[in-house]
Amino acid sequence: MTAADTPIGPAGASGAVRGERGDLLTWLTTTDHKRIGILYLVASFGFFLVGGLLALGMRAELTVPGLQFVDEQTYDQAFTMHGTIMMFLFGTPMVAAFANYLVPLQVGAADMVFPRLNALSFWLFLFGGVIVLSGYLAVGGAADVGWTGYVPNSELHFSTTTGTDLWIVGLALTGVATILGAINFTATIYGRRAPGMSMLRMPMFCWNILVASILILFAFPALTGALAMLLFDRRFGASFFDPSEGGDPVLWQHLFWFFGHPEVYILALPFFGIISEVIPVFSRKPLFGYRAMVFATIFIGAYSMSVWAHHMFTTAAINLPFFALSSFIIAVPTGIKIFNWVGTMFRGKLTFPTPMLFATGFIYLFVIGGITGVIVASPPLDFHFQDTYFVVAHLHNVLVGGSVFGIFAGVYFWFPKITGRRLDERLGKLHFWSWLVGFILTFLPQYQLGADGMPRRYPDYAANPGWTELNAISTVGSLLLGLGMIPFLAAVVLALRRPPDQGNDPWEANSLEWWTTSPPPHHNFTSLPPIRSERPVFDARESRR
Amino acid sequence: MITRSQRSIRGVVLAAALAILAAGCLPAPATEEAQQVTTLYGVFVAIAAVIALIVFGLATWAILRHRQKPGDPLPDQSHGSLRVEFIWTAIPVLIILGLFAGTLAVLGRVDAHNPNPGVELRVEAFRWGWTFSYPGSGVSVTGITPDGPEAVLPVGEPIKIVVASHDVIHAFFVPVFLFKRDAIPGRESAFDVTIDEPGTYRGQCAEFCGIYHSRMPFSIRAVSRAEFDQWLASQPRASPPAEGSPVASP
Repeated sequence: MTAADTPIGPAGASGAVRGERGDLLTWLTTTDHKRIGILYLVASFGFFLVGGLLALGMRAELTVPGLQFVDEQTYDQAFTMHGTIMMFLFGTPMVAAFANYLVPLQVGAADMVFPRLNALSFWLFLFGGVIVLSGYLAVGGAADVGWTGYVPNSELHFSTTTGTDLWIVGLALTGVATILGAINFTATIYGRRAPGMSMLRMPMFCWNILVASILILFAFPALTGALAMLLFDRRFGASFFDPSEGGDPVLWQHLFWFFGHPEVYILALPFFGIISEVIPVFSRKPLFGYRAMVFATIFIGAYSMSVWAHHMFTTAAINLPFFALSSFIIAVPTGIKIFNWVGTMFRGKLTFPTPMLFATGFIYLFVIGGITGVIVASPPLDFHFQDTYFVVAHLHNVLVGGSVFGIFAGVYFWFPKITGRRLDERLGKLHFWSWLVGFILTFLPQYQLGADGMPRRYPDYAANPGWTELNAISTVGSLLLGLGMIPFLAAVVLALRRPPDQGNDPWEANSLEWWTTSPPPHHNFTSLPPIRSERPVFDARESRR
Repeated sequence: MITRSQRSIRGVVLAAALAILAAGCLPAPATEEAQQVTTLYGVFVAIAAVIALIVFGLATWAILRHRQKPGDPLPDQSHGSLRVEFIWTAIPVLIILGLFAGTLAVLGRVDAHNPNPGVELRVEAFRWGWTFSYPGSGVSVTGITPDGPEAVLPVGEPIKIVVASHDVIHAFFVPVFLFKRDAIPGRESAFDVTIDEPGTYRGQCAEFCGIYHSRMPFSIRAVSRAEFDQWLASQPRASPPAEGSPVASP
């Protein structure tokens, strides 16, 4: 607002990008990181809506005991596809969406190091996702094995639908897409930083993307391998996981979680990065403890490779103290991040436009998710909570209260940069409050349900005292989350109907993307400010005052 | 005006309410092991409540007290403080080491195997039901009725429960035991429980095992040793080998 009066950086030049819009072929063939970022953003958001509708369907079924709307088979497919979509077709590509759009801009580059590889990774992801969803067209229906696909239940003998094969193949493709993207982000961060931008002057978002990318390079090949082994078991007579042929079902769990736990941080770190960008801007202060945050990010990344078997405590096939201790330890750097965000807000000059509301909501909700994570990291406690709604509540606390709130903070924050238009504040506030209240109503009752022993992945449950009430509250909350999307979508549509009116730096922000026009020209920059700290645009703005 | 003490009381009440809301209360424990788990959980929740209170308190304080007013200059551009970073790194390290010590202590109890269990119960899971048998006695209970089979066990003595599966992975879960164990085909695993209180306790499958995963209930009826002996003697016994399809050997 005030920044629009004092433009810094070059003006104009945004017409070049707008002039090209509407030409479908240029979108299909684009290698521009910004357009690929937008494609990722729109596609993964589309998958998010599908996954969200599946969740609303499940919540509707669970409102009261008994089977009202769906049968078991439909329900099993719904939670399988909901989890798969949210993890692989929404969460992971959403990382690629933000990273594609922002990494070159934040490091002051014209594009990614490998633009065509970048386009390839988007299209692999999109078609992989469509293949996963196409399971619904198979005779036996979509995959019905849970997003974790535990063997032997996912072997052909027990899951006979072709949907499960499509699930395997589609996920393998999206996995390759993710790996290609990670190579590109890593190379761009190492190779394309503008003169003056040392690693320790790099925006926190880029640091988080760097660490998440390296995690992807370690974790995703394990998934790809496991999926290939499962496909061989199902269709080509192998028996990697079949105990009657000498295979081992626990091997799948090791491979899956060797990918799956780093994946949790792949879905968390980039959005930690967004929070680390948003909070300083609306606190009018630098990030508290930048170096500590870098250290914490690297530590989380390294440590997340050694905690995978805490998903397997109840198998009795692993070393419990080792994985308990490593899982506890990772709470320390995560705590450092939370304290540093609060430290940034402390003694700041806070304003609360929608991005900051989501960032603040993130802190509160993520703290609960982190604490309950420490509870389930203790094997004696996990023996009770494993596979109950306590775990469901915990993981949604981290991935919705954490990651999705971070995503919305990022969308509201960078929407002016991407489109030249602001999202309406009143609709944004409506969106935020319905999501905050909706989240609390949906997920906090699930902790109690889990403590009472309600297992997950049940379409029906016993009418034990309190369960119907808690489930009904949870369903009402989920409805609020669903309705909360209406003001958001309305804000996007209304904004896109207006002419662009945002200056280069509408929020008075810190990193290089705010130096160029909104939206940026094709090659991003016509000039760069001197980079002498992690806040070059702040430095330039202050030196002009 | 609200006094400082009123405010701190409100804070404590809020934190307690939050902790209960967020973490949930466990069911009353029915085994000696579960009592230890309940105590450990209480410690975790108490520490969690204190940490949540500190973070929420500081964040809420900042939100309420550090708002930008029109015309405010930039705040002090503090880049952080090494001392503060050290404090909020060191204290959590100490806390998690404490939690780890508590975890090890309770794990030692929950994971202990008594060399002379009073009774051994063999649990074989299959799609979609359970077979309970008492090795050496020839007694075996299979049930796929709506309520599932019932295992009768004596109270007040260590019971060895061996879990196995015929097909996919299931999990043997009794909520009031605060314990579950996966039933994995090709492996057997055992754990001990000592049931405190007579009663009938429901259980169910906790690992997704296919379409009727939610229809695998069972129950445990805990009785005195005398009643248990009487019950066992009254059961029809199959001539060995006991009924039921073979389980893949580990």
